[in-house]
Amino acid sequence: MSFKQFIKELNGDKVEGELIKTILYSLLTSFILLGILYYFKFREIQNFIPKYGLFIFLSALSYAIIIPAMRQIRAYKQMPCMSGMMIGMTTGMIAGFLAGYIVGATNGMFVGGVFGMIIGILIGIWTGSCCGVMGFMEGMMAGFMGGWMGAMTSVMLLNDHLNAASIIIVVVLSAIMISLNYMIYKETKERKRESEEDFMLDIIITAILISITTWLMIYGPRSALFQ
Amino acid sequence: MKNTTSLVVIALIVFIGGYVVYSNLGSNNSGSDINSEEVQKITLGMKNYNYYPNTIRVKAGIPVELTLDSSVRGCYRAFTIRQLGISQISSSPSDKIIFTLTEKGTYSFACSMGMGYGTIIVE
Repeated sequence: MSFKQFIKELNGDKVEGELIKTILYSLLTSFILLGILYYFKFREIQNFIPKYGLFIFLSALSYAIIIPAMRQIRAYKQMPCMSGMMIGMTTGMIAGFLAGYIVGATNGMFVGGVFGMIIGILIGIWTGSCCGVMGFMEGMMAGFMGGWMGAMTSVMLLNDHLNAASIIIVVVLSAIMISLNYMIYKETKERKRESEEDFMLDIIITAILISITTWLMIYGPRSALFQ
Repeated sequence: MKNTTSLVVIALIVFIGGYVVYSNLGSNNSGSDINSEEVQKITLGMKNYNYYPNTIRVKAGIPVELTLDSSVRGCYRAFTIRQLGISQISSSPSDKIIFTLTEKGTYSFACSMGMGYGTIIVE
């Protein structure tokens, strides 16, 4: 069973052996940064944790599940067209959906939709372009769609168990990202890794994403519903 | 660092972060009070996938206390009068929406997504 091999490989020498560490470094980066910002700035904001706590926490988790897939794709550089389409679509859609959903829940549909779309398209293009123009296109389209869908979903759930839905969505999307990690492993298990890198790029990407998301949620423009 | 240790640390971070967030959920103490003695009380329900009644008449200058009853669901609970910049969420019928319309005229109201709509006539 190749899934069992995949689980074994999570402790191996290939890039799959670095996935769990990538999640850890991404989470540590987010929470250290958020801790510093909270100590110096955010604790002065009234009702900060009840108002933003859950969504900032979920955004840190979301980026921690997306970053490992990006690392895995960078390690192999080239993949077949069909795999590229799946990679571009999954990462673009999930990155866009989560970013849009989280910002949409605190700032409204317009800001959430635009932010989700930008994050989704950028990540979708970056990951999908490993595999030619089809992956690139798929990443771009999925990012666009995911961003707006995420924001729309959170605004529609405002009065209907938004917090519970947010947790369910993050759990389901985490399972999808693990499936993507497995798919990439299956596609590349006979190949050698093409790029060796440390964790600095993952830490930088996480820091940028979490900083922009948090800043936008707290100080960004809002729709009339959230003023 | 071994992966097992990494997993334990990830679980700890998620657990502690989740606990901090969960223990603070629902402690938001924002709210609004009516100071005026005279208010116009209006209750809106839902019928045929729209607000009911969907035409309401109010007097200018007197605060309006709007209640969305329990039949109103989803985005319909985000009551919006776009022309006047009024937009408020009512999570339950006890969560009143209070506003004052000072200028006479006819305004459109809707839910935040424009799915339910109606007219408010200020006399």
